[in-house]
Amino acid sequence: MASEFLLELNDIQAGYGRAAPVLRGLTVKVPPATVVCLVGPNGAGKSTVLKVASGLLAPRSGRVVVDGADVTGQGPQQLLAAGLAHVLQGHSVFREMTVAENVLLGGYTLKDRAVIQERIEFVRDLFPVVDERWRSLAGLLSGGQQKQVEFARSLMVSPKVVLLDEPSMGLDPKATSTVFDQVVRMREAGTAVLLVEQNARRALETADIGCVLDLGKVHISGPAPQLLADPQLSELYLGGRPAEPPTTPKR
Amino acid sequence: MPSGSEATRRAGGVLRLAALLAGAGLLLSFPALAPNPYILSAGITVLNYAVLSTAWSLVGGFTGYISLGHGALLGLGAYGTGLLITKAGLPSFVALAAAAAIVALLAVPVGFAALRVRGASFVIVSIALVLILLLVFQSWASFTGGSRGLVVPRPFPDLTRPEHHRVFFFLFAGLLAAALATWWAIDRSRFGLGLRAIREDEDKAQALGTPTFAFKLAVFVVSAAFTALGGGLYALWFGDLDPVFQFSVLTGAYMVLMALLGGVRHLFGPLLGALIVGWALEWFKLQYGDTPLHLVATGLLLGVVVMFMPDGVIPALSGLLARFRPGEASIREVTAAELPASQARGPRA
Repeated sequence: MASEFLLELNDIQAGYGRAAPVLRGLTVKVPPATVVCLVGPNGAGKSTVLKVASGLLAPRSGRVVVDGADVTGQGPQQLLAAGLAHVLQGHSVFREMTVAENVLLGGYTLKDRAVIQERIEFVRDLFPVVDERWRSLAGLLSGGQQKQVEFARSLMVSPKVVLLDEPSMGLDPKATSTVFDQVVRMREAGTAVLLVEQNARRALETADIGCVLDLGKVHISGPAPQLLADPQLSELYLGGRPAEPPTTPKR
Repeated sequence: MPSGSEATRRAGGVLRLAALLAGAGLLLSFPALAPNPYILSAGITVLNYAVLSTAWSLVGGFTGYISLGHGALLGLGAYGTGLLITKAGLPSFVALAAAAAIVALLAVPVGFAALRVRGASFVIVSIALVLILLLVFQSWASFTGGSRGLVVPRPFPDLTRPEHHRVFFFLFAGLLAAALATWWAIDRSRFGLGLRAIREDEDKAQALGTPTFAFKLAVFVVSAAFTALGGGLYALWFGDLDPVFQFSVLTGAYMVLMALLGGVRHLFGPLLGALIVGWALEWFKLQYGDTPLHLVATGLLLGVVVMFMPDGVIPALSGLLARFRPGEASIREVTAAELPASQARGPRA
């Protein structure tokens, strides 16, 4: 079923246990071949959005739709089958296994050997590091390289949407840059990406659409360059404008 | 792929095949070389340990689930074989196969219950299984013979004692070959890939779509079948069963020790561990008689392994060898001339 959006989160209310909801009527839509980036202060609900989107947390109300199919309340494995891959925060490669084995595990749900071979060639082509270090133990790779192995692993099942949770966490600026370049390549390969980042400015420079979360709702959304150019937004959420020297907060 | 590494790999493969054939030749010539029946029977004991620890490592090695309860599967295989011969009148080797099949079937509900819990809980559940079965087989004397033991008739009554040992040496060697071949085949398969992912991180493996529970259960059943075959063959060879020795936490612990000592991630790790531990156990019994000293030594050995070679002898030795290979060391001395110009400009320059 073709749909205008590959991932839709419609009017989501979600939270943990009996506590007050973290998400209060949040709506995010990800079109094909687009990077949508969620930014916002700590506690705004960024991680909760990803938990709901990946099936780890069932929303109290609202609908999760993947490419036109309603998958609200289904678990991670069903969502994976529906075309939604989740790259976890931090390092999540299998360290004691080779890069090749890591990538193969990403395609574990695939049955057809020809398809598996085709996907392997695709990801090795897309991520040069994966190709170069194919036989190395994944644990011996640097943080940025491991991230790319995780990307490759998630792309094995030809997902429609990839959820990226803080891909730059723990990486130096150069590795961060490489990782974001790879996010762009994923988009160019036709995948829709929902990106959550602390490194808001860098993420918005990569993304097509930015959504600023605050208090469990999308506060502002629009084309990423526009958000970056907005001085008020910059002041509130991106820690001041980059061109200006740091000023002492007036409080 | 550079052709140099391809050639190296092929040379390594030839070397490995030669070593394998040499090892197999040495093993098969052991009965001819053994100076007396006692040494031959010690060899059989070691082979039996090798079968059991290889079978154990199908679960413990691939999935990382440390079972101390394999003694229960061993005992069921041994008693199943003995009882099927004495009570049901089956021919010896039919009874052996039937007992293994029954234990494999029993392993489904047992695994279904035990594999739901991880880590320490799994270890405790597996120990409980051994203790429960020990009590059952001791108390149900009318059926199992209880503490008086169960005499299992010999499959080849016409053979002399040394001939009997010789035949069983080859039978155990065949069973070991089958267990090793199974381990090897699983290691190379997608099934094995999924199992190793479980060992590393079960949640992650599940998130990627690996049917973790079904896989754990399947490999547990295979492991149970081989353990039962080991126990059953022992029953046919030894001819006398006692619940205390068959349903023993200690035997389960030996399997773990041997596998860990050799290295659970290597095909021949458990075999190597069995050679070391099996030989050491016999030596201690010979030197110091039936004292608990061999248990003390076993405990010390386990401590040393866990502290200094947590991955086992094989990785420890290959790590040591790699250190002496020039150019592959992680840290080596470099002359200033060898350093690139940019790096040579250190603070002292």
